[in-house]
Amino acid sequence: MSEYLLDVRSIGISFGGLKACDGLTVQIPGGGLHGLIGPNGAGKTTAFNLITGVYRTQMGSVTLDGVKVDHLRPHEIAKAGLSRTFQNIRLFSELSVLDNVKLACHCRGRHTLLGTLLRTPRFVAQERAMTARAMQMLEVFSLQHLASEQAKNLPYGDQRRLEICRALATEPKVLLLDEPAAGMNPSEKKALAQSIKLIREQFKLAVLLIEHDMGLVMDICEKITVLDHGCTIAHGTPSEIQSNPKVQEAYLGEPATA
Amino acid sequence: MSGALQQLVPTMMPSTARTLLKGVALPVAAALGLGLLMQFVVGPMIGAYPATVALQVGISVMLAVSLNIVNGYTGQFSIGHAGFFAVGAYVGAGISYYAALAGIDPASGQQPSQALSNGAWLVWNDGQSFLFSYGEWRMVLASIVGGCVAAGLGYIVGLPSLRLRGDYLAIVTLGFGEITRVLLTQTKPQIFDRDELAATQAKDWVIPPMGGATGFSDIPAYASLMWVWFFVAVMIFFAYRVKQSSTGRALLSIREDEIAARSMGVNITKYKVRAFVLAAGLAGLAGSLYAHTGQVIRPQEAGFQRSFEVIIFVVLGGMGSISGVVLAAIILSILPEALRDLSEYRLIVYALLLILMMIVRPKGLFGVREIWEFWPFTRGKKSEKPNEKKEVAP
Repeated sequence: MSEYLLDVRSIGISFGGLKACDGLTVQIPGGGLHGLIGPNGAGKTTAFNLITGVYRTQMGSVTLDGVKVDHLRPHEIAKAGLSRTFQNIRLFSELSVLDNVKLACHCRGRHTLLGTLLRTPRFVAQERAMTARAMQMLEVFSLQHLASEQAKNLPYGDQRRLEICRALATEPKVLLLDEPAAGMNPSEKKALAQSIKLIREQFKLAVLLIEHDMGLVMDICEKITVLDHGCTIAHGTPSEIQSNPKVQEAYLGEPATA
Repeated sequence: MSGALQQLVPTMMPSTARTLLKGVALPVAAALGLGLLMQFVVGPMIGAYPATVALQVGISVMLAVSLNIVNGYTGQFSIGHAGFFAVGAYVGAGISYYAALAGIDPASGQQPSQALSNGAWLVWNDGQSFLFSYGEWRMVLASIVGGCVAAGLGYIVGLPSLRLRGDYLAIVTLGFGEITRVLLTQTKPQIFDRDELAATQAKDWVIPPMGGATGFSDIPAYASLMWVWFFVAVMIFFAYRVKQSSTGRALLSIREDEIAARSMGVNITKYKVRAFVLAAGLAGLAGSLYAHTGQVIRPQEAGFQRSFEVIIFVVLGGMGSISGVVLAAIILSILPEALRDLSEYRLIVYALLLILMMIVRPKGLFGVREIWEFWPFTRGKKSEKPNEKKEVAP
């Protein structure tokens, strides 16, 4: 048993000769807020895909709340309590906002074909419960008035929030956010930082965050891991990271030498 | 699995009476109502020949509704749907025909086709059956068996869909249809004589005697307007219930974005196969009813011409829209009959209409939406009460 809620140990994957992720270790305790940063192409999203099972890790292990999940398929990992958002928004654009969230309740339900065709009491109750849950979740993000709108018709910021809302509806223990602030203006980013903190407390979960906005990351994360070319180059608290020469080099280039 | 959702479920149980009424009694009553309406009101009103067209329209609607589950909801491009249809037709016809043939009284001296069709539709001539003749109940049973066999094949064809998508899946399903067609031409000649049938042994049924390339004929014509449209209504209910359920949302999410669906906990393997099984089963049922409409069924039923016809219904009706595909199936099945006066030009008119439709409404008649979602009245109401729609569902 590990003391960490999410314990990622030296996972990695190579695409041909390219080591997209090489020996990443991230350990988040319950209620922790961990940042994953690095320049473009550093392998941050690859790391997410490895943790959530979209790619199968070629080495290392992922343990969630004491359960090894690295050999599981994505839907099983979601059921185990790991949920994510996507860098390029992946909503079910033709479905309504409510259905997007209801779909996320799917993995907590039981579904039989017979129940569906005959509308058994259990089926009806579960559908009602899903609607109630989904509306509850939408209210948290004050999206309830848009419930019957098609997801693709939402403004960009609402789509981002809907994605987080959908991810939370799977009742996760750990939430993985992939660049949630991308394309937001400063005041929206501030609001987002507030809601990430709020979500963490309200839903009692740990958060792993990929973000390019340093202000946001330094502001809310307790621990930060920095990636470059698939390798971990630094790990520590925000202040440690800020003063780390390797990190400065990765972002700004090598210091000029005489 | 004691999550927040599961804690809510027991608090929201509906009463048993409500479930029985809304879940079973009302749909069955509505389906019977449509069947009886077609049989006793519409049928006599439109005359004998249009009534046979109405039978074929019903079959088309069933095929369109079933294919819509795979191509429309789930977004998997299957073009071998006629294969399931033909399997259902042959299995249903085989059971019905040979069971009936074995039961004919040899003393009556009637031709099998004559004797078999006796007793259809509300005739108590055997003095034992309730409401419908034995033969009709046998047809229903045979059709369900045919549907189950087709569903089993749907499971097998569904498996490659897990690894293949788009064009590749289309080719595999096309191959399935063609294989079915070729296998059906290899069946042995049909047995018309009762004594010959009695003399057969188990090994004679390894390759079933179903007429081969010449087709399977003299199938008792029990599928009246009543039965066909009863099942049309049942299938529409099924399709609607699937769409308005967690299963339906899972299927739609696969069409929208497989990666997101998986990450949200949808077992896409399971749901793709489920879609294929369900669609194939319904197509098989439709096939068996078709075999009982007084047609000679031929191996060509499995061919790609019919598959394509059904795809056109689904594409033109709008992928995923039940009311859309039903309407498209009705219109496009009646159209060739209505254009009969134009004789050789009718195919040109048909093709032009298709092209025109694709230009004017490229997403199909209704897109993914249903016809009632276009009425301003219901749209306004829906946005007020988002969960209203689920509650009023049939």
